[in-house]
Amino acid sequence: MKEMKRLLFVLTVAMASMMMMAVSCHEPEPEPEPEPVVLKDYNFDLFVCAVKHGGMSQNKNGTYVRSVPDLTADQPTVVFSGKGIDITQDYTLESITRGKYYYQVPQRATGGFVKFHIERNAAGEESIVEDAEVPFKNNVYSARKYTHAWINDSTTLVIVGTADKATKIIWSKLNESNLAVQSEGTFDISLPEGYGSFSTAGLLTYRKSDKKLYYFYFAKPAAGMSDAATSQVYIAIIDPATMKVESNTAVPGDIMEETAGSAYGELMQNMIMYDEADNLYVAGLRTIDGKEMGILRRIPMGQKTFDASWNGFPNPEGKLLTVQYLGNGKALAYSRDEALGTKIDSKSHFYTIINLANSSRERVKFNGKDLQYCGGRFSQRTAIANGKAYIGVGGEVEGEAEETNPTIYIYDCKTGVVEKGVELSKGFCFDIIRAMEAE
Amino acid sequence: MRINRIGFVLLCALLRFVPLFGQDTLAVKGQLNDTLVLNNATVTARSQEQQLREGAYAVSAVNIRLQAATLQSLTQAIDRSSGIRIREEGGVGSDFDLSINGLSGNAIRYFLDGMPLDAKGTGITLSNLPVNLIERVEIYKGVIPASFGSDALGGAVNIITNRQRRNYLDFSYGLGSFHTHKADFSAQYSGKKTGLVFRPVLSASYSKNDYLMRDVKVRNADRTAFIVTDLPRFHDAYLSLFGQLEAGVTDRSWADEFFVSASVSKVDKEIQTGATQGHVIGMAERNTKSLNVSARYAKKRFLTDDLDFNAMVSQTWDHVQTIDTTYRLYYWDGSYIDGSYSEIRRRGKTLRNYHRPMTLVRGNFDYRLAEGHSLTFNYMLNRTGNRQDDAWDTDYVPTDDALTKHVASLSYNQLLFAGRMDNAFFIKDYVNHLEVGQSEIPSTTGAGKVEPVSTKNYLGYGVGSRYEVFAPLAVKASYEHSVRLPVSREVLGNGSTVYPNLALTPEISDNFNLGLFGTWDLGDGHVISYEANGFVRLVDNYIQATVSETEGMMQYINVAAVHVKGMDGEIRYDWAGRLHLAANASYDDSRDSRKYTQSGDLSVTYNNRTPNRPWSYANAEVSYTFHNVGLRDSRLRLMADYQWVHWFYLTWEAFGSASSKSRVPTQHITNASLLYSWQSGRYNVSLECTNLFDALAFDNYMLQKPGRAFFLKFRLFL
Repeated sequence: MKEMKRLLFVLTVAMASMMMMAVSCHEPEPEPEPEPVVLKDYNFDLFVCAVKHGGMSQNKNGTYVRSVPDLTADQPTVVFSGKGIDITQDYTLESITRGKYYYQVPQRATGGFVKFHIERNAAGEESIVEDAEVPFKNNVYSARKYTHAWINDSTTLVIVGTADKATKIIWSKLNESNLAVQSEGTFDISLPEGYGSFSTAGLLTYRKSDKKLYYFYFAKPAAGMSDAATSQVYIAIIDPATMKVESNTAVPGDIMEETAGSAYGELMQNMIMYDEADNLYVAGLRTIDGKEMGILRRIPMGQKTFDASWNGFPNPEGKLLTVQYLGNGKALAYSRDEALGTKIDSKSHFYTIINLANSSRERVKFNGKDLQYCGGRFSQRTAIANGKAYIGVGGEVEGEAEETNPTIYIYDCKTGVVEKGVELSKGFCFDIIRAMEAE
Repeated sequence: MRINRIGFVLLCALLRFVPLFGQDTLAVKGQLNDTLVLNNATVTARSQEQQLREGAYAVSAVNIRLQAATLQSLTQAIDRSSGIRIREEGGVGSDFDLSINGLSGNAIRYFLDGMPLDAKGTGITLSNLPVNLIERVEIYKGVIPASFGSDALGGAVNIITNRQRRNYLDFSYGLGSFHTHKADFSAQYSGKKTGLVFRPVLSASYSKNDYLMRDVKVRNADRTAFIVTDLPRFHDAYLSLFGQLEAGVTDRSWADEFFVSASVSKVDKEIQTGATQGHVIGMAERNTKSLNVSARYAKKRFLTDDLDFNAMVSQTWDHVQTIDTTYRLYYWDGSYIDGSYSEIRRRGKTLRNYHRPMTLVRGNFDYRLAEGHSLTFNYMLNRTGNRQDDAWDTDYVPTDDALTKHVASLSYNQLLFAGRMDNAFFIKDYVNHLEVGQSEIPSTTGAGKVEPVSTKNYLGYGVGSRYEVFAPLAVKASYEHSVRLPVSREVLGNGSTVYPNLALTPEISDNFNLGLFGTWDLGDGHVISYEANGFVRLVDNYIQATVSETEGMMQYINVAAVHVKGMDGEIRYDWAGRLHLAANASYDDSRDSRKYTQSGDLSVTYNNRTPNRPWSYANAEVSYTFHNVGLRDSRLRLMADYQWVHWFYLTWEAFGSASSKSRVPTQHITNASLLYSWQSGRYNVSLECTNLFDALAFDNYMLQKPGRAFFLKFRLFL
């Protein structure tokens, strides 16, 4: 009897175990929980130009900024008549940002760096408050012609530009808090043979996993010759502590011929992004059938050069202009469809969600229609905050009247749902939307 | 008895004497006139300036001879006229922009005795022409007589030089604040037997322009932060040299006048700032050298009794060199950092040479159809080359552009009702031929997007009319459909601070003027005169200077449409050539008039006030002259004038909160001067104080003008 009870117990445990095993075998693996979104308070700074877009220094009608706490549809139309800040004379719309602060070489050309933030009083009126302004030490930078990276837990800002008719690449380290110039120098990088100048600024980024600065650049036959054939793209890997160039590798042309932006760093547009695993992505271009077409390459975590087998933007319709990482293996891209026009006002620019896992992509739609933009290549009308992408749509269309006011659309990164957001007054063109941390 | 009106007009024409002192109304009483008494007849003669004002066109005329003993430059005198505003970028020799009834820049054309002033070379402007040489300045507002053969759109400034018949020698030397020196010499020798006439002119001016800049940012002692302080300018020296010799004959059977002339000029200018004073420059320079040879011929009753003819041919070799070969970033204390880019262009080093040869040919036929009716045909050829090379930048590809303009005009002039009505009708044909060779920075300049060789034709026409109701009240009206072809500086740039814009198209404007004017002689030497003008300028493809955000460089662009409406008025009072009061005020409302964008949307800038231009300003002046003070035949004149300019925005007024917008502040500038003259004007000493109250003065955004300054001048006139 005692043995029967023991046998029964063993059978019961065995059956229970089998049942549990069976259950566990039939239930699908639960998906990993998305990284929780840490909700912060943001202000959205909307940089616009009147009548025409203002990127690439084409602004003839002034640059105006409104700072608003919310971009949802229930907000009043954002107007610029008698409202906002006219930054035309003092500041460039291209800027480094972090937290609530802007860092830049200002338009007013006083010979230094400036740090400022935008404040809004109780009546909702914005103003600029300067937090620091310091003169250059030895290295001199032109307004908007530099690239940057944050190091040392974002307490140090590294700025890189070119000097001596773009034949040298200079760098400066600045203290984030007071902009004091900590150290400066020139990279030990020579011009590729046969070329006369470097690309205006190049692209600089800091990779946390290997604690290295990556500097992407190429060269041109002579400064200012924008249409001339360029050199290969180079990746210089730099020790941020010593600023020594540890390696300098040429990228084969079939991988990437140019980075997406070379003149203004990422002061206006984002061309570099990282995923959770610290894979480094760079937007670039290649020539296909005589046309410059977009490409998205990746330097896998732990490696120093592009993975030739991976392209996040296959079969491109045109240039890839900006990329921003949304989380969970997805990226938001702004790109052009060459077939629909290549003029700056051609209605041929689209927002796309790229699935980095399989390099598939899908245009962002609202009510079944693609979100288009026609204001040209030089803009960053998207901002990512609190798990949402805020996308600016509207503005001028060559030869056509605007059907709607410039409008923000809000893409939910988790659900993929797109909803309409706040509108802006007609006649203004988005140049940049920046999500700035509130106090 | 009173002289009849025709006799009066003839007498006016004969009386060309203009005294050294006094008002426009001629001032000879007993010795030399103000009022001339002939057998109990009282005649008040009108000066050249007065006659011009009372013509069919809207004209301001400024008598320079009256002020030559005190003036430093022509710009000073012109800036006090109604409807005129001169914006200067700094001190002596600085670039300036003159506006007439709201239109400015190259919409205004400058002439020297009817010939384009450009012929004297790029460096010669209103600011450095020898003042002693000038008789008067005529300022035509909006509607330009066909005889100028020009494509001016907003107005024209015609500088009339001294054309005295008698021999003379005129020398002056002045020195002033900020290490300023100025010397002028002009003379005329006419051989009675030979009939040969020689007219030498020499002029030199120099200024260090080291006036104090207030509240500028410089680095602190350890160069880690900025401090705000006042410091003198340190790289703004200006040197101008001009020499000219005219030789010719007058009153010959084959020519009333035939002169050949040669002039040379050299202007060296250090450059202190870019478009704003935050952009400090410490090494760059712009130097100009010019040589001009010309000949002019005039003959009344040419071939037939009713035909007058005059012609001119001129060749100028103009060389501008911009030296921008230093990679330095300067601060206002003169310290610098060895930087990464050149000072002006903010790119590579350049030593850019601009050779701008200019050929001018003009012919003018004036045919009298009948008494009071005449027909005038005028042709002007203006070819300006633009060869650029760079002695430093080996990558620079030399260019060779040329801009040729042909302007032919025909006008019919009539005097009706015994001269009470004066009408002029005219038509002008403009041909613009552009040859473009340059290809630098195509994204900015448009190179590659425009045809390398193009010829375009435009037509203009207009009418002017004046009717005198009675002496205190006359009315005049004028209209012109005018075309203004872009000048080489606008299309081809200046090599230093102005980018080319090869796609620039001509401005076209419909200009309307309506004016009232009159003179009251109240007796006992009291005379009041006035004029009031309303005007409308409807401009398409308005050419506007913009400051490029990129590097503080400028570029001219077409703005689709600008409408300017406004009015100006002036009132003058004179008592016996002793007390003189004058005041004028101007208001011009310039608005963007393009309602819809190319895409059909309502333009948000529609009906906005055009940015970065003064729109309301006023002047007042008072002078009193004492006679026989200390010495016999001496005079002492005390004068003060006040200028006011309303503040204006740098960018479109409508956008952004008022507190965030950059603006050029209101100006209140007071000047004072005294002049002592003896031996009937043979010797003159003057002392002038400009900006008496040391006000902070700006004509342009963040470009400070000098504070209080003194200028002492001695003039000898034999």
